[in-house]
Amino acid sequence: MLFTPCFRNSFTTTGALLLSIFVSKYTRGDEAVSFFRGLNLNGPAVLIDGNRWEGGTAESYRCDDRQFENQNIALHPVTDRDRAAMIRSSRYGGNRVELLNVPPGEYSILLYVWEDNDTETYSVALNSETVLERHESGIRGHWDRLGPWTIQVGQEATIVVTSKGGTANFSGIEVWRGNYDGQSRPITEEELAFFEKRIRPLLADKCYECHSADADDVQGELLVDSRDTLRRGGTKGPAVVLGDVEQSLLVEAVSYENDEMQMPPDQKLSDTEIDDLKRWILMGAPDPRSTVTKYAGKQIDVDQAREFWSLQPIQNVVIPQVHDLAWPLNAVDRFVLASMEQHSLAPATDADKRALLRRATYDLIGLPPTPAEVDAFLADDSQDAYAKVVERLLGSPRYGERWGRHWLDVVRYADTAGDNSDYPIPQMHRYRDWVISAFNRDLPYDEFVRDQLAGDLRGGNTEAERRDRLIATGYLANSRRFGSRVVDYPQHLTIEDTIDNLGRSFLGLTLSCARCHDHKFDPITNRDYYGLYGIFHSTRYPWPGIELDKKQRDFVPLVEPESVQDAERKLRERLAEQQRLAEAVKTLKESLKKANPETKPAVEQELKKAEQQARAHRELPPPFETAYAVAESKTTEDVAIQLKGDPARPGDVVPRRFLTVLGGQQLTDPHASGRLQLAEWLLADDNPLPARVMVNRIWQHHFGNGLVPTPNNFGRQGKLPTHPELLDYLADRFRAEGWSIKAMHRTIMLSRTYRQSSLRDSQSVLQDPENQWLAGYPRRRLDAEAIRDTLLAVSKDLDLSKAGAHPFPPEHAWDFTQHKPFKATYPSQHRSIYLMTQRIQRHPFLAIFDGADPSTSIGSRMTSTTPLQALYFLNDPLVHDQASRLASRVLSEADQFSDRVQLAYELLFSRLPTDEEQHALEQFIAQARILLQAEGLSSHGLEDQAWQACIRSLVRLNEFVYLD
Amino acid sequence: MARQQTPPVIGRRELFRSMVAGSLLMPGVLAELFASEQPQVEDPLSPKQPHFPAKAKRVIFVFSNGGVSHMDSFDYKPKLFQADGKMLGVGGGLSDQPRKLLKPLWDYKPGGECGTLVSDLFPYLRKQMDDICLIKSMHGNDNEHYNATLGMHTGSFFFSRPSIGSWISYGLGTSNQNLPSFIALAPQMPYAGTQIFNNDFLPAYHQGVRVIGGAEPIADLNRRTTTADLQELELGLADVLNNRHLSQRGHDSDLSARVRSFETAFHMQSDAPEAFDVAAETDQTLAMYGLDRGQNEGFGWQCLVARRLAERGVRFIELVDGSSSHNWDQHSNMPEHAQHAKVIDQPLAGLLQDLKDRGMLHDTLLVWTTEFGRTPGVDGDNGRGHHSACFSSWMAGGGVKGGISFGSTDEIGATVAEDGVHVHDFHATILHLLGIDHTRLTYRHAGRDYRLTDVHGRVVHQILA
Repeated sequence: MLFTPCFRNSFTTTGALLLSIFVSKYTRGDEAVSFFRGLNLNGPAVLIDGNRWEGGTAESYRCDDRQFENQNIALHPVTDRDRAAMIRSSRYGGNRVELLNVPPGEYSILLYVWEDNDTETYSVALNSETVLERHESGIRGHWDRLGPWTIQVGQEATIVVTSKGGTANFSGIEVWRGNYDGQSRPITEEELAFFEKRIRPLLADKCYECHSADADDVQGELLVDSRDTLRRGGTKGPAVVLGDVEQSLLVEAVSYENDEMQMPPDQKLSDTEIDDLKRWILMGAPDPRSTVTKYAGKQIDVDQAREFWSLQPIQNVVIPQVHDLAWPLNAVDRFVLASMEQHSLAPATDADKRALLRRATYDLIGLPPTPAEVDAFLADDSQDAYAKVVERLLGSPRYGERWGRHWLDVVRYADTAGDNSDYPIPQMHRYRDWVISAFNRDLPYDEFVRDQLAGDLRGGNTEAERRDRLIATGYLANSRRFGSRVVDYPQHLTIEDTIDNLGRSFLGLTLSCARCHDHKFDPITNRDYYGLYGIFHSTRYPWPGIELDKKQRDFVPLVEPESVQDAERKLRERLAEQQRLAEAVKTLKESLKKANPETKPAVEQELKKAEQQARAHRELPPPFETAYAVAESKTTEDVAIQLKGDPARPGDVVPRRFLTVLGGQQLTDPHASGRLQLAEWLLADDNPLPARVMVNRIWQHHFGNGLVPTPNNFGRQGKLPTHPELLDYLADRFRAEGWSIKAMHRTIMLSRTYRQSSLRDSQSVLQDPENQWLAGYPRRRLDAEAIRDTLLAVSKDLDLSKAGAHPFPPEHAWDFTQHKPFKATYPSQHRSIYLMTQRIQRHPFLAIFDGADPSTSIGSRMTSTTPLQALYFLNDPLVHDQASRLASRVLSEADQFSDRVQLAYELLFSRLPTDEEQHALEQFIAQARILLQAEGLSSHGLEDQAWQACIRSLVRLNEFVYLD
Repeated sequence: MARQQTPPVIGRRELFRSMVAGSLLMPGVLAELFASEQPQVEDPLSPKQPHFPAKAKRVIFVFSNGGVSHMDSFDYKPKLFQADGKMLGVGGGLSDQPRKLLKPLWDYKPGGECGTLVSDLFPYLRKQMDDICLIKSMHGNDNEHYNATLGMHTGSFFFSRPSIGSWISYGLGTSNQNLPSFIALAPQMPYAGTQIFNNDFLPAYHQGVRVIGGAEPIADLNRRTTTADLQELELGLADVLNNRHLSQRGHDSDLSARVRSFETAFHMQSDAPEAFDVAAETDQTLAMYGLDRGQNEGFGWQCLVARRLAERGVRFIELVDGSSSHNWDQHSNMPEHAQHAKVIDQPLAGLLQDLKDRGMLHDTLLVWTTEFGRTPGVDGDNGRGHHSACFSSWMAGGGVKGGISFGSTDEIGATVAEDGVHVHDFHATILHLLGIDHTRLTYRHAGRDYRLTDVHGRVVHQILA
């Protein structure tokens, strides 16, 4: 009987008998070929090609080589999980493996080797005879299955595998009895007959419907229509384990043992059929179907998919007819009025000039108008007084600080990396400043998109423009980092974050749903996802530092293009020198331990010197400025699908390309990452999404809600547009006007729709409680930044100078770990957009007032009303301090009581107080004085204190934080 | 046994009005204020009906930072005592290098009538095993503190997601509107920082309010005006002016909600410090928690305050034991476990007993957990490494069976042997006890319905009473 060591049979006696007839015994000429053993030299037992391999602790072999493992290196070519794990854990140094107790006979040997760093050249010998000369190990991650080599084993009962020359990494050894060709095991005639008669029809009949390349929607990623796919298995693991019935999921599924996996689902197979499958597996699952099948993925019917509203071409819409011809001022109004009329609603009256100015000013610059600006507007009777205000505000440098912030919400801007220790990124502010400047100079939106996705590849007309574009790719660099580990570093999650954000920001699509499976609702496939993934896999992201590898690297030097290489070399040398100095210190510390009393002082002296040198070098200022930006990766390549989103489970390799439903353009230059092309695919004329998504965002920040209320989701799970034709009118116009954002502001703000009062009549409120038909301006609360900026501005404490970099500790002092993560809040008098934002620690003020969550793309913020916000207004030192400073301002700038009240009202509410309010405040001040006097306050401080109390009261008012 | 009366919750509106009326302002304006009835606004935190009748009304969730060794505390492994020093193979969810086995440092003795074995690390808790449902087959996905801590709190091991407390606040609201629904007693920051009590994409009402103890236990809780009268005066003026503003704008529920939030905040200033102040507790009670009179910090204080908050209707109370930098993470020095155990053993036992004595245990779920266990193999000289493949946690009260021990690990505590309880299952079970079907508590965000348990989780029915 011929039992191969790997076939552990716990089947029935009948099975054992069958085994003796069929298993693994077949002939090629006269020699029997069978799997003898497989050894994973430095790791656990694994399953390779359906054969059970023993782990490193197995018996009957000897290897004293050193152990090495790095599961973090991507392998070329990509392979299955068990094999990859086996390859990446290896032995080196010495390179001698002795297989013991080998019965005499003929054997074939295969050797798995791989390269973890630089290419090595070595030869391989079997029992001292060279079988392979000058083998080159290849680039980092490359692996080979060397052999097979045939050898006769005699009484020595030993096979010795050795290598000479460069350092070889031995991962595993595979040994077959007989003269094996290293390919698939040939099948005997009986086996073939059994397969064709009993197994193939069974699989085809009962399983192919859901588990073959022809399936409409393949289930569990399992294809049973070819040998390799069946053995590789699906999401649950290998479907058959050769010779092992118990471990074969196929048997588990068909025998209905597991409640959650019963196949075929509609009816259990007959006992005979199940027995046939078991017999077949015991034979070693001989399978002639050698052509690997491939499931092309769920096919999208593009034409049908593009019938969904957001994917339809932008319509050349007709401006609608309305009954009330007197009301509309521009086309926007005609669309809005037509909807109102359809719903039997009428527009609200026009807002008064003060309310309109306060609204427009907050909308465009996030600050209140000054009393002087109010007066000027009131005094200007000209026809275009309001248009002039809009123009003035669009020209203000404060505009970019307001609208840049909206963009930073969407791209989840943060000044730290988001890994478990949240490493600071001192260079990140350059991207923030680029965004602000892009809005201020009205950089066309298409250029804005190109620069962020591929600015590094675009060059520039001037050196300043080239650098700006480099910095713009900080958008990609700012993708979140994860974890603390260097081994198993989850780069795939960072890429996932990139794709998720890119989808939501530019396309309004939730692409990340397709990471593990085809999108359940939208026409985006798993293959689409990995087509994009390859682009970012081929992109070099800068390394911001992490607990176990603290130094920044791969940042882009901001130097002339011709000096880049030189600069990068300098950076590398600097790092190497730093490491060398650190090593020297370490060595000296060791010698100090061993030093005797005589040598000790000298060593101490040396150590001190070395430490000083190391410190001095560490603290050297960087030789040039750098940007947190991306570059093309050294290896640009397509990637394999990650089954269920698990990078350890590669599926088919998919070419880099764009989403099928948006054109599916494929990358033509394999040496490019594809980002430059991606930007063009994205902005192609027939992709309606970028324009629709962006005009919707602009609308949203003028009215509180977008025309599509889900600004980051234009898919089936998002909401439909309330005014689809208006959306298309604006999107069309946006592109026609050269993607100008400022032009879009004008179109929207000069409409009468925007200029309506927020006071709606009761019928309109009843009929349209959500105000989606816009018969009146939607009242809304100021956001966190506007609240803080206003509190600072009204007391003249807002610092409007250039904010620049954050006062992070210097890089050489970084020692952040997950135990002691980086955590700081830096006091600042600058506008809130300049507050240092940590990815994983919320800024206390912003967290309370619904500031953007920097861990994910925020399309629209929530507006919550919580007691913690009220506590802030009641007791926070900032509120008390600013109230006191504003009180001083009011007291010093006006003498009369009524003038003081008026100034306070103009500053805080942009309006004059009523007589009643004058009266109420007068009473309040009087009451407060009595109370304070009772506390024993001298009359000197009374007025100040009473006014401070009054201002505190006023900044708590709804009128202060709500915009009419 | 005498039961302490739960302090009555006074209607806020009434109190606020009496405050305004009692202190100030011209009768004309007041009359106007009181004449106009406020529109009713639905409070996002008002109590909500669970999916099915609940066993537990509230949760006290105790989290020990750093990874408590299961084989040294609640999971008795006689083989491991014998196998000390033997080599351990590679793999099996253990570690990537071969290691020598390390025997547990503490002896085990049976506790309570049920006789569940507990090591000498927890002599106080051991006496109370009849009320405790021990789970020895916990397991998670990640071996890093940060990720495992995040997972234990949010069900997500990498991405930021709402905390379990936020989910429960969102699902059930709370009964005392003068206190937050979710309070985290976290004097120091745990791993993953504020994310562990963050609402993330859930509305901000459900954010865990961090309490640090000491003079101002909640940010901005202490009145900053020199006198209470002055603050009342300020609020009175704001109330009058706000109401005028409101009446000119029809009934805007957002505006009235904000007016109300100031009333709540006003009351929090007095109610919250009262809840955190343990001065009124008897000597006997303080002794149960191992507290000295006048002590207003430390784990005993956290436990006692947890009971006081539970009495006052707070829905979810989290107690953080240790911090990201000082905790149970004994890589090279297992004996240090003793000092960490000493910090929590008596207070936790005291809390359990106190809840029982006051008749609160039946509807209060007390949960103790950590982010992962520790390796059976040695780490450093005399320590253990991180081990998410199995660890121990326990629950008590609130509808779980007391006096049982559920699930098991293999003979050295390396892997789950039977009845594994994944972190997701743990969460599903907690929600179930609160009357929530974990598959139905969802929130639409970024195009899909999110859940605490993602697409996983099974209720562990075997431990339900």
